[in-house]
Amino acid sequence: MNENHTVKDQPISRVQSRSRWYRIFLVPISLVTALVLWDVFVKIGDFPPYIFPSPARVWDRLLVSVGDGSLLRNTLYTLVEVLVGLILGVTVATALGYLLAKSLSIERILSPYIIASQAVPIVAVAPLLIRWFGSGSFSKILICSLIVFFPVLVNTVVGLRSVPNELRDLMKSLRATRSQIFRYLEIPAALPIFLGGLRIGATLAVIGAIVGEFVGADRGLGFLINQSRGLYDTAMVFVAIMTLVAMALSLYFSVVLLEKYTLSWNQPQDQ
Amino acid sequence: MDRRKNILLIILFLLILLAACRPVQSQIPTVDIPKVHIRLPMGYIPSVQYAPFYVAHSRGYFEQAGIDLEFDYQLETDGVALVGADDLQFALVSGEQVLLARNQGLPVVYVFAWWQDYPVAVASFTDQDILEPADLAGKKIGLPGLFGANYVGLRALLDFAGLSELDVQLDSIGFTQVDALIAGLDDSVAIYANNEPIQLKSQGYSVDVIRVADYVDLASNGLLTNEITIKENPELVERMVGAILKGLADTMADPDAAFEICKKYIEVWDQENEALYKDILLATMEYWKSDQPGISQPQTWENMQEVLLGMGWLAEPLDLDQAYTNRFVPGN
Repeated sequence: MNENHTVKDQPISRVQSRSRWYRIFLVPISLVTALVLWDVFVKIGDFPPYIFPSPARVWDRLLVSVGDGSLLRNTLYTLVEVLVGLILGVTVATALGYLLAKSLSIERILSPYIIASQAVPIVAVAPLLIRWFGSGSFSKILICSLIVFFPVLVNTVVGLRSVPNELRDLMKSLRATRSQIFRYLEIPAALPIFLGGLRIGATLAVIGAIVGEFVGADRGLGFLINQSRGLYDTAMVFVAIMTLVAMALSLYFSVVLLEKYTLSWNQPQDQ
Repeated sequence: MDRRKNILLIILFLLILLAACRPVQSQIPTVDIPKVHIRLPMGYIPSVQYAPFYVAHSRGYFEQAGIDLEFDYQLETDGVALVGADDLQFALVSGEQVLLARNQGLPVVYVFAWWQDYPVAVASFTDQDILEPADLAGKKIGLPGLFGANYVGLRALLDFAGLSELDVQLDSIGFTQVDALIAGLDDSVAIYANNEPIQLKSQGYSVDVIRVADYVDLASNGLLTNEITIKENPELVERMVGAILKGLADTMADPDAAFEICKKYIEVWDQENEALYKDILLATMEYWKSDQPGISQPQTWENMQEVLLGMGWLAEPLDLDQAYTNRFVPGN
């Protein structure tokens, strides 16, 4: 019996092991492939470095900017704007989302304005915000908050409205207070959808900060891109863009981790 | 015999008359020149500041030179990069862009000095009493950002006064200098002397202007091409320069006619601001005045290089002879 059991298990563990290796190496392999394709593209196209730099040139520029501290300094500046803007935007959107989800009349009054505000491109509003609030960090934080606001708000409303009425009635029948309903029913039920909005918001916040820095700034990755473009240092533009991508990915996967931690009860079984 | 002589004389006279009646344009050798489509990055929005180009286009000078010109109002730096890559043959650029581009290996060459003076200036309200570069010490100065001609011009003024960036407060505000000054957000702003001060004065404000050109001679706006075009198609460069020179001469000779022509090329033309536009054109024309239109002065390039070296934007001096040439300006 034991022998049979072992023989049956062997192929399954081999498949699992292969799948694990596959997962571990998939990302590095795709990255290396992308770099090779990029290099080949530059070589075949015979692009000058100020039009399309090769990966090696971008790498060299990365090392220089890390060495002189300019990349870290500007990255930290943008990161602070993004995080503060994200927190501010999420806080306001969640609070307002709760009100809208609870009150149809408030939703009817505010919805047209909220939707209309989304029709205005942030690029058009950014110069006005900088004019009104100055060229410091605050205007960039505000732009981040505005861009984060809508997806988080919508997902908060949808999440709270997705709570089944039967469960709400059940809680009420158990004499649960409003606070208990909120903590033990509404938050857990709305969290998956809310975190979906947060994923989008986290990546959008990076765009918001860059839009603000493009319009007027003397620090940050947006400024670095603007200045490098003015100096025809295209390799540095690539370095700054890739740092932005890394920042957006880090924020996105931080939310994914948060999801895993807070929604462990709701995770699909891994086959 | 006399009668035959008279008939011959009459025929000769008629032939001369007929030849004289031929249209003037046909005297210009356009037939042999193959027409080339040129997309010209202008570096700014449609404006009366491009009057010589509009005049040359409207009066057919580009066409006569075998050039089918298309105005392209894209960013200056993008235009320079495209010329460097030989995707485009020409662009209108500010002097510092030429050296910055060559510093990164772009094979670009400045071939026509359109503006004789660097147009950047620092403007402030008269109550601030900012009258010369040294008065900028301790002041908050608004500028679009730490890049481009505004920043270079401001740095040149600070250098002249023996000031550094630490002696002033630079405020990167995007292209909102006029509003920032009116709102009191900045003590002074880096602007183009031929534009924003005129706007401010038209709104009733009293402003003092410190012109960079009054303190340092810097290479200013002009026509850029690349080494490939110069090598393979020098006649095209000559024809382009020739057409621009004609447009410039016509504009300087008759600003009113040039102004009327501008209206056809500027889509968003506000009738109420026509007097302002006219003032901007007249102020800008002051920057084009020259005994030798189109000629680059070597000292202006030396000075520009000095400023850029001081800013750290150039690591070492460039070969300036590669950066500009006067050989395409007629008479050189």
